[in-house]
Amino acid sequence: MSAVSTDQLASWRARGTRASEQTVKQGLIVLHSGGYKKMGNDAWSFLEQLALASLDIGRLDIADECIEQLVEEFPGSPRVECLKGIRIEAGDKPQDALNFYEAALVEDDTNVALWKRQIAVLRSQGSHTIQKAVEELTRYLDIFYTDVEAWTELSDIYAELNLYTLSLQSLAHVLVLASQNPFYVLRFAETAYTAGDIPLALKTYLRVIDMDEPDPVQGNAAKRAWWGLKTSATRLLSSPSLPSESQTQPPSAEHLRLLDELATEQLAEVYRSTSAVSQVQGRDVFLAWLSGPNR
Amino acid sequence: MSSSGASLYLDPQIRDWVLFPITLVMILVGILRHYVTILLNSPPKRQSRAAIREQRALLRSQILRATSSNSPLPPTFYKAISASLWHAFHSGKYLKDGPPKEGDAPPTPASILTNPDQMDGMMDGMKKQVVMMVPQMVIMGWINFFFQGFVAIRLPFPLTLGFKSMLQRGIETQDMDVRWVSSLSWYFLNFFGLNGVYRLILGNDNSADSSKDMANSSPFAAAGQQPMQAQDYNKLFKAEKDNLELADGLYSWACKDVELRVLRRYGKLRA
Repeated sequence: MSAVSTDQLASWRARGTRASEQTVKQGLIVLHSGGYKKMGNDAWSFLEQLALASLDIGRLDIADECIEQLVEEFPGSPRVECLKGIRIEAGDKPQDALNFYEAALVEDDTNVALWKRQIAVLRSQGSHTIQKAVEELTRYLDIFYTDVEAWTELSDIYAELNLYTLSLQSLAHVLVLASQNPFYVLRFAETAYTAGDIPLALKTYLRVIDMDEPDPVQGNAAKRAWWGLKTSATRLLSSPSLPSESQTQPPSAEHLRLLDELATEQLAEVYRSTSAVSQVQGRDVFLAWLSGPNR
Repeated sequence: MSSSGASLYLDPQIRDWVLFPITLVMILVGILRHYVTILLNSPPKRQSRAAIREQRALLRSQILRATSSNSPLPPTFYKAISASLWHAFHSGKYLKDGPPKEGDAPPTPASILTNPDQMDGMMDGMKKQVVMMVPQMVIMGWINFFFQGFVAIRLPFPLTLGFKSMLQRGIETQDMDVRWVSSLSWYFLNFFGLNGVYRLILGNDNSADSSKDMANSSPFAAAGQQPMQAQDYNKLFKAEKDNLELADGLYSWACKDVELRVLRRYGKLRA
């Protein structure tokens, strides 16, 4: 039983799986039986994993036990500091966590993990600290430019605040850093559409379709891009002189008409009945919408 | 006396009391060196935020330029980022100590000796080299003192007469075959040969390896490391401005004519 548990836990650690309930269940056995002492150097990663999982499900007592042992073994370690901070976040007062991170960052101002936790807490506190979250995140990105996750977080915060142009600019950096990922391009297109820049959205949706490999993989970005293409093409056809903040030229009317047709065909294809699904629900409604009032 | 081929007979006690002890001592000293190096390893120096930013600033424009000929960014976005980087490099915004003030003489790159961070790095390297050198000297001295003046082994491979003076030090004969060597040469053989044993005992990344030692102490390596430490970021930033301008010229948006490509691909337009 114990041997199986530690292997499973090790594989979860390696993959970063967040199966907190099961981790705590199995981890508790290992913890109380003292089996982790035989794991050698892995014991410390195991304690960290168990601490995080138990904080996730609210078992603060187990987390405290693990953190106590880690603090004893590694006093002053930046990684353990971060764990202590997360423990304080799980407590009652978020201000305590903020104070802790401030103090820790004064001592060690380039600890990426601590800084990111601070920004996360500032964001989670809502409207009175969101301004500070944005400032800190911008300062962080000025130094650690290549962090794609942080750029997408910034874009997310801006979008939440309805500052779509700024969100788009953050996504631009994401695109430069990860130019081969069609999902980021799709997000750029959708943000552009929300920001009101329809010609840019249209072009970017086309780019997603262009990037699509002809590979029948479920959940690729192209299907959503066809939707986006349909909506932006119909809008441009109905009001051809929409303003574009990025001064993008939309395609000619003829091409727009062809694109609209193409998108309609591709979307109808999605809702086609196949041998697996004999009748797709809502197909009639959908087809009616496709040929809808815009025509 | 004709040169003796295989007719010298060596006392087996030489094997027991000379060869094995020397090898054993060298293995143990190697392991000792490995652990001393681990203990001497200081944690990596913490850098300030401004220093990190300065080091990584060039990366930004390199990332932008990498995709400039088929760029995912629309023209206005690309030009905005490119222009802001250009101005930042021009004004020295990313420099560790801030942009150079008006009227200051252009700052000379800090010499290695005066910059405390790099000085520590060099001291660290020198400490490691000392740890390597000292045991070698001690063992050589010990061998010269105790194991001198007799033939220790016969090399399985032939050598030219040039090696006689080095390998038969202490044995003053003129005609003896070069294959009969003194114990100091057994030391040298071990020195180069025990790397495999260290790799077995200590794992791949051990500091008892003499091959890495040789590379580190050669003068070429030292000369290669030093210029890297005293980089003048100001000059690099100014050079990067030219690169940005070049990339601006090469820039092309990936979405240019994308509607034609898509229409052709799905057969709506003749190619």
